[in-house]
Amino acid sequence: MIKSIRPITNFVLLPAILLLTPVSVLASWTRSYVIEWNELAHYYGADTGVVEPGTDCPQGTNPEFNWVEVLINAGYTREEAQWLRNPANPTRSPVHGQNQMAFRGKDRANVYINPESYPDTGLIGVSGNIGEGINLDGNEDTGFVSPTGEAGIDNTFYKTLGCWKTYRGPERLSSGALQFNDGMRNGSWTMVIVVSGEGVDPMNDDNVMVGFYMSPDDMVKGGDGNVVEDYTFRIEPHKKYEGLFPARTENGIIVSTEPVTAMLRDPGYTRDLELQEAQIKLEMKPDGSLRGYVGGYRPWRPVYDGWVNARGPVIEALTWVELPSVYYALKKTADYPAAAAQSDRTHISYALRVEALPAFVVSPDASEVVKKVVSYKDQAPQLTEPSRGLFSRIQIVDGIVIDSRLEHRAGPDAIILPSSNP
Amino acid sequence: MKFRLNRRSLLRGMVGSATVSMGIPLLDIFLNENGTAYADGSRVPVRFGTYFWGLGLTDTPAGGTRWVPEKIGSGYEVTPELKAIAGLKDKISVFSGFRAIPDTKPNLVHWSGHASILSGTAPSTTSRFEAASFDTRIADAIGTSTRFKSVNIDASVSRRPISYSTRSGSTFSSPDVTPLELYNRLFGEGYQDPNSDNWQPNPEIMLRQSVLSAVTDQRQALMKSIGKDDREKLDQYFSSVRDMENQLAVQLQRPEPREACILPRAPEELPKAASVDVVNANTKVMARLLAMGLACDQTRVFNFVHTGGTSETYIAGERKIYHQITHDEPTDTLLGYQPQSSKLAGLVMEGLGAFLEELDGVKEGDGTLLDNCLVMAFSDTGYAKIHSIDNIPILFAGGAGGRHKTGQHIHEEGSSVTRVSLTAMQLAGAPVGEFGTGSMRTSNPITEVIA
Amino acid sequence: MKLSRKTVPLCALVLTLLFAATEFNPISAESRDQLEKTDQLTIAVRRLTESQYRHTIRDVFSPEVEINARFEPEQREGGLLAIGSAMLSLTSSGFEQYFALASSISDQVLGDELRESVMPCIPVAAIDHDCVRQFVSRFGELLFRRPLSAAELDARVATAETGASQAQDFYAGLKLALTSLLVAPEFLFRVETAELSTASAHEYRLNAYSMATRLSFLFWDTTPDKILLDAAASGALYAESGLQSQIARLSESPQMAEGIEAFFVDMMQIDGFENMVKDPAIYPKFNQLVSDSAREQMLLTINDLLITNGGDYRDIFTSNKTFINRALAAVYRVPYTSQEEWAAYEFPEDSERAGLITQIGPMSLWAHPGTSSPTRRGIKIHEIFMCEPTPDPPADVDFSLVQDSTKGTTRGRLLDHMENAGCSSCHGRSDPAGLALEHFDGLGQFRTLENGVFIDVSATLYDGSKFTGAQGLGEFLHDDPRIPSCLVRNVFSYGVAQLPRYEDRDYLQEQTELFANNGYRISTLFEEIASTAEFYHVRIPEGIKANSEVIATTP
Repeated sequence: MIKSIRPITNFVLLPAILLLTPVSVLASWTRSYVIEWNELAHYYGADTGVVEPGTDCPQGTNPEFNWVEVLINAGYTREEAQWLRNPANPTRSPVHGQNQMAFRGKDRANVYINPESYPDTGLIGVSGNIGEGINLDGNEDTGFVSPTGEAGIDNTFYKTLGCWKTYRGPERLSSGALQFNDGMRNGSWTMVIVVSGEGVDPMNDDNVMVGFYMSPDDMVKGGDGNVVEDYTFRIEPHKKYEGLFPARTENGIIVSTEPVTAMLRDPGYTRDLELQEAQIKLEMKPDGSLRGYVGGYRPWRPVYDGWVNARGPVIEALTWVELPSVYYALKKTADYPAAAAQSDRTHISYALRVEALPAFVVSPDASEVVKKVVSYKDQAPQLTEPSRGLFSRIQIVDGIVIDSRLEHRAGPDAIILPSSNP
Repeated sequence: MKFRLNRRSLLRGMVGSATVSMGIPLLDIFLNENGTAYADGSRVPVRFGTYFWGLGLTDTPAGGTRWVPEKIGSGYEVTPELKAIAGLKDKISVFSGFRAIPDTKPNLVHWSGHASILSGTAPSTTSRFEAASFDTRIADAIGTSTRFKSVNIDASVSRRPISYSTRSGSTFSSPDVTPLELYNRLFGEGYQDPNSDNWQPNPEIMLRQSVLSAVTDQRQALMKSIGKDDREKLDQYFSSVRDMENQLAVQLQRPEPREACILPRAPEELPKAASVDVVNANTKVMARLLAMGLACDQTRVFNFVHTGGTSETYIAGERKIYHQITHDEPTDTLLGYQPQSSKLAGLVMEGLGAFLEELDGVKEGDGTLLDNCLVMAFSDTGYAKIHSIDNIPILFAGGAGGRHKTGQHIHEEGSSVTRVSLTAMQLAGAPVGEFGTGSMRTSNPITEVIA
Repeated sequence: MKLSRKTVPLCALVLTLLFAATEFNPISAESRDQLEKTDQLTIAVRRLTESQYRHTIRDVFSPEVEINARFEPEQREGGLLAIGSAMLSLTSSGFEQYFALASSISDQVLGDELRESVMPCIPVAAIDHDCVRQFVSRFGELLFRRPLSAAELDARVATAETGASQAQDFYAGLKLALTSLLVAPEFLFRVETAELSTASAHEYRLNAYSMATRLSFLFWDTTPDKILLDAAASGALYAESGLQSQIARLSESPQMAEGIEAFFVDMMQIDGFENMVKDPAIYPKFNQLVSDSAREQMLLTINDLLITNGGDYRDIFTSNKTFINRALAAVYRVPYTSQEEWAAYEFPEDSERAGLITQIGPMSLWAHPGTSSPTRRGIKIHEIFMCEPTPDPPADVDFSLVQDSTKGTTRGRLLDHMENAGCSSCHGRSDPAGLALEHFDGLGQFRTLENGVFIDVSATLYDGSKFTGAQGLGEFLHDDPRIPSCLVRNVFSYGVAQLPRYEDRDYLQEQTELFANNGYRISTLFEEIASTAEFYHVRIPEGIKANSEVIATTP
């Protein structure tokens, strides 16, 4: 097969464009990319499969529940529980079926918004010692050992949730990653990365900046269905989604020189990927692509709320967890701020695996190629308040679908069986 | 003397792997063209229908496919999830690799896929299409001389009737949802038995005749003092006009007694449940009624929904619905796919098999009703687990009166689904040269399946 | 590569194909007597091309009329679709398509939105005889490109009135009449007629309406407008001054851009983009958008250089001023610094691009799905721009060696052609131009290596001319005398929709000199050719029969 040899100096300035570029912000070198894939940096320890045991999860993933028993344990009669879980009954009906699953807390409280009204039934976490991500605290004695032997990798998010079926699997094949990346690649959002340096050798430069920005331009798929390189993307100044990382390069590997606060677009239900003490570790590969991690401490409550707002009963039934257990697990393992008591820790160490392709990145007005990493937040329009709880056109309240047209609804006092339903 | 036509120069368009739509510009070839015709010159009408099923078929990113045949072109092998159509394989073309391209719009799960296929435009919201579904264009072209321009059927036994046929994009046709409703529509009040004496001509046809007569009146004036080649060209033109006149004349006569048309008995009520066995039974009964409706020329266009986009069908006695299983069932390590989802996909395809067998069971002319139909069967997703709108399975069944080169597997990775839709329109006889918008705009039909 | 012993070099014979045989002149004294009894001879019947059809409907009615239809395939002969159009008729299914399209156009034109702007009169009743006649005669003339005969008019009026009385709706009937005009052979085909010249009782001249039609389709790619038809009716076109004033009017109009563009689309074979296929494993950047954009880039370039700026035709081989969009920028591997859909762009010197033929469009179209093709590129350059077609290869060539594209360079593989006497007569002509373009792969992407080997882009033509790379080829073509003479020949053939005759050689030579004197300006060339008698010359077709015989042989 013909494989043309790609010159390493991808983005040689064209004379014509140089003339047009104002002598403004110019680094000595720049490379730019578009993120074509990003997913949780969850190390996969099995040979194959999703639920099968591996070094990460020796018992395999958390098993599927018998929801009839779960409902009975929550105080429903067997007859009620069976009716609710019978597929012959319309399962998405707001009256019965899955919505009623919300109401299994103490006094039939909604467990999604009151997880502590329900006991912790347990979530099995990762027990292997290999993990991916970044040594955030500089301590080699805490955290995982990377697959290449680097000690002190901090990724408690993985330790806590890595045996959850939806977030486990070989690279680019876990269903959680597939779902969101498929959407991203089809145009739901685009993020670009610009790397600029002041030194002479891009591969070894002590003065580098890396910027993550939103772009209004879609990725384009080629004839083979993969994202195509070398397209041009404008930067979309965004009040929230931007991350600027001071860094240096060593043999082509970009590493942070100081932690920062960054907010990226989450390839998940939460949308906001807020990171404290954020760092990067990205390799500029010989084929022109960029690959590595963005890590930091992420607030865990919004992540939990993301699953609730994606319709709690659907997440529970499809991904084999009880959401209150997820809540308890995150709360028990949160590791930041380190100085705070466990119950006051609001953040959890986290890492995103990023793969990006060479692309041209231009200024918001498309007039010039971006030659230096700077903040564009000042140029961003005010954010409009997102319409929370809307999933497509369905209104979600407290984790369940609300259809106001219907008379009978799920709830603490709902009458379950149709025979007793007047 | 004219310079010689170089036959090879005509075939030069075939180089490379692409077949280029060439038509048949050589006079001596098209002068012999007759099409499928009865002895009196009237054509057996081509019928068109859509057949929709929910949740796609199994083709996983891990590499496990349960439906895409390995062999491209004719003589493709029967894959596990296509087993139900094995018996009719030679009358069916399979399209793989085609995708919906939403451009800047979101992938609205269980909606964007078939909205793109049918309307050519990715939708902005669920419950609406941005444009008419293309079956209406076909109905405008071939459905005007029958009692119903099109018939819409939903066999899914869902909570709400499901139809994806729309002219406005917002109002969808109301389908018949039980065999009895369908029977009453086709054979109830207003039914004219083509085999009975009580028959009225359609005045619309006479008006079309008058359009043509003004053309043919001028024939002699035009044929006066003309060269040989030019006369041949105009002869061919007028012979095409005459073909159309013959068709119109036939429609003005009391229809041929249609042997295949036998008034069916009213169907019995089936149990009302969304389980796959009931839906398939429903499909079979409704297909039989529909086939007779087509044979009796009550309609020439139909839209059939087997199961909806978010299919709620399930295996009787089991505790999860199909939709849930596609999302929550893990991929089996050894098999490389989701076994239960694949089993359900196979069961759902049995509905299509039964449907097509009913059409193929009606003799018509030298062949079967199916030979004179083009049924475009498709789904809302490719790999349902992640709501993928890549590689959405699409099948063409039936010969479209000889226009469809059946029995092929067409694989085009990443090509727009609208190309398949455009091909369907052209095979069905709709005068449409371009379809779709944005990245899904195309004027490039899949010539391999066009005879 | 093996060649059969029987194979003979054919390239020397090629040029003979480019001229029509000596003019056929079948008219004996006896049949001339019969001919003179008839008013007019039909000397050509050409099916409207898709673009002619679209432009006509737009210009006669409204740009708002939507034409969504499948047109019957066109055929290129003698290098031009315009010549092929004279060989085409309509199949039954094609006629059905045109019928449905005609109904759709009538519904739109006489529907609520457009009716008011189109109607020449307001009907006073469902049956309004005068108003129907006004409508049919006005639009009949524009569509048939001549006034309707009484019989043609009456037939449509009758159709309209039958429909109107049945539906009790004036417009329902009028729609039928309009549909009938739109499916008539007089509309779907350009029917050219000749009549006995008033100057000489033994000579035929082109009918004035046929003259108007040739002019209008050449300059505007559309039906003659009312002014031009009036000039035909008055006989003004037969007078030098009348003809010149119409030519001046046509060429001064902005619509001339469409005429020139239609010509280049035909001549440069800017078709086939819809069906272009590339192996996605080798060219992952290729998709339909790239294909569509590549075509559009060619049109924008031609438009800008030759129409807007009235430039020197030969500069298409050297000028690097063009336009790109986001998709093309990705293939050319340059940033797209514009928010508009298209932006002006000039290829820099180190891109090695040289003019139109080195753009993605020609480079990908004249290539294989998985590789470039110096042979195909060379053949196309000779065929399109030099009017030197190459014969088909012998049927029994063993291609297996040439096809193994995983080793070495294409150049190396093609050396076989050069070393074999049977092959080299043609490949020696076709390949060098293509070999100079080998720095562009099968998608037109720049490269210097193939399978790890540096690509040599030097070339030596069979006549000994040497040049290097695309830019060398561009300069060579720019100054080659065959380039302007081929263009002149093509404009003439396109305009008359026939191959030139041997007798036209001197005429074409004169026109070529004139073209050079006028700075190789396209619009001037159109004007010059349209001003010559040769452009209106009548060729009597074979097998023409007198009136009575025709009637007798028609069933």
